[in-house]
Amino acid sequence: MARSPGEGSVSPSASLRGTRETLSDPELESLGSDSEINGFTAERKTDKYGFLIKTEENGGREEELSVDVLRQREAKWLDMLFNWDKWMAKRHKKIKLRCQKGIPPSLRGRAWQYLSGSRVKMDQNPNKFTELDSMAGDPKWVDIIERDLHRQFPFHEMFVARGGHGQQDLFRVLKAYTLYRPDEGYCQAQAPIAAVLLMHMPAEQAFWCLVQICEKYLPGYYSEKLEAIQLDGRILFSLLRKVSAVAYKHLSKQKIDPILYMTEWFMCAFSRTLPWSSVLRVWDMFFCEGNFVCH
Amino acid sequence: MAKQYDVLFRLLLIGDSGVGKTCLLCRFTDNEFHPSHISTIGVDFKMKTIDVDGIKVRIQIWDTAGQERYQTITKQYYRRAQGIFLVYDITSERSYQHIMKWASDVDEYAPDGVQKILIGNKADEEHKRQVGKHQGMKLAEEYGMDFYETSACTNYNIKESFTRLTELVLMAHRKELDGLRLASNDELNLAELEEDGRKADGTANSKSCWC
Repeated sequence: MARSPGEGSVSPSASLRGTRETLSDPELESLGSDSEINGFTAERKTDKYGFLIKTEENGGREEELSVDVLRQREAKWLDMLFNWDKWMAKRHKKIKLRCQKGIPPSLRGRAWQYLSGSRVKMDQNPNKFTELDSMAGDPKWVDIIERDLHRQFPFHEMFVARGGHGQQDLFRVLKAYTLYRPDEGYCQAQAPIAAVLLMHMPAEQAFWCLVQICEKYLPGYYSEKLEAIQLDGRILFSLLRKVSAVAYKHLSKQKIDPILYMTEWFMCAFSRTLPWSSVLRVWDMFFCEGNFVCH
Repeated sequence: MAKQYDVLFRLLLIGDSGVGKTCLLCRFTDNEFHPSHISTIGVDFKMKTIDVDGIKVRIQIWDTAGQERYQTITKQYYRRAQGIFLVYDITSERSYQHIMKWASDVDEYAPDGVQKILIGNKADEEHKRQVGKHQGMKLAEEYGMDFYETSACTNYNIKESFTRLTELVLMAHRKELDGLRLASNDELNLAELEEDGRKADGTANSKSCWC
């Protein structure tokens, strides 16, 4: 049961041990609570995704795209984003192809909003988030959300500080969702999803993107009885039977139900499971094609 | 190959979200405490082998998500447990009140002979205490459970409480264990025996690979 990424693609073992690893470096720990709020930026190293690097690590060893290729791709994406409706209507295959190559990091947040339709939804509801943001949440949800704020990507610079901007925005987005869908309320797996979104866009945009994920991409995943995730677990297991009968038999014999390993994979859209560079690429395709890439 | 354990069974950690279930487990199995860690989504487990009165006991400890809606998933694992930790947080009155609900779920979903123990965690945070030690003791007495206040942070009563629950499970299965001594080359997999509803005859040889 792999636990969360965070260290990019340092080494397989490191990325598997992930965010549960201790921040044993006293320098990092002392950065703690108020450095970020006070605007005090102590010297700390992060990888290009914003995850703290422990001093002895050398960072990721990923293949970097050449600047020229990246600029070309950015130009293509900018053209698409400026003429989005036209592209969606006439050249959807091309959009998909470009998503498969990976969305340029500088435009990823915007692209996700267009792909998911959250941009349109936000434009249709101009004051909704501000309204929800100003309302007090149901204490039942506020209490449980607050207990989760410091438990999302604690080794990402945005979320490392208790009460810092990242955690504040996370609270705003999650609380707003409980007011937007009081029938669903808050599910703990929404927190890592919202945190990934906040790494790429402001709170209001992240909120509408979360709405799209919960309603369009993964409907029923976070609702009261968690039926959808259990059903998908059974579907995954029967697919496994087709793809690898040996693995299927072994897991069955050892009584390892799919719900034991796939709950976190699917509910968090692999954000805690894969090396970070892969998470982003999977999310690019997730927004482009919908949930079945995860299946 | 020398056998790695004499007996295998499952323990389960339940209690409200944020009371420290995962931290208790990490402290016990790895002797680590991480102030920064992630919330548990779904179910997870860790293993540890300990020695109790010369018996090598392999315990598989299941860690569960505390949020109410995950109970549709976690309840499915109650019936597979031989021992259960009910955990609250001494700095949260609410988590203590909820023990009642957790206990009634155990009655409903866990097997009859399951051993239970009550844990009040975060005992190091005395300045934030909302639940007195006597309250914990009183509740434990009502339910006929043993009670420990623990701190995963300072490593207080961790080994003691895990060892105690292990002993309770061993005592509850003394009959099977006596059989084990007769046929000492075999491992006893209590987890499997219970699940299959078979009667233990002490010669069970259901060695399973959990690693």
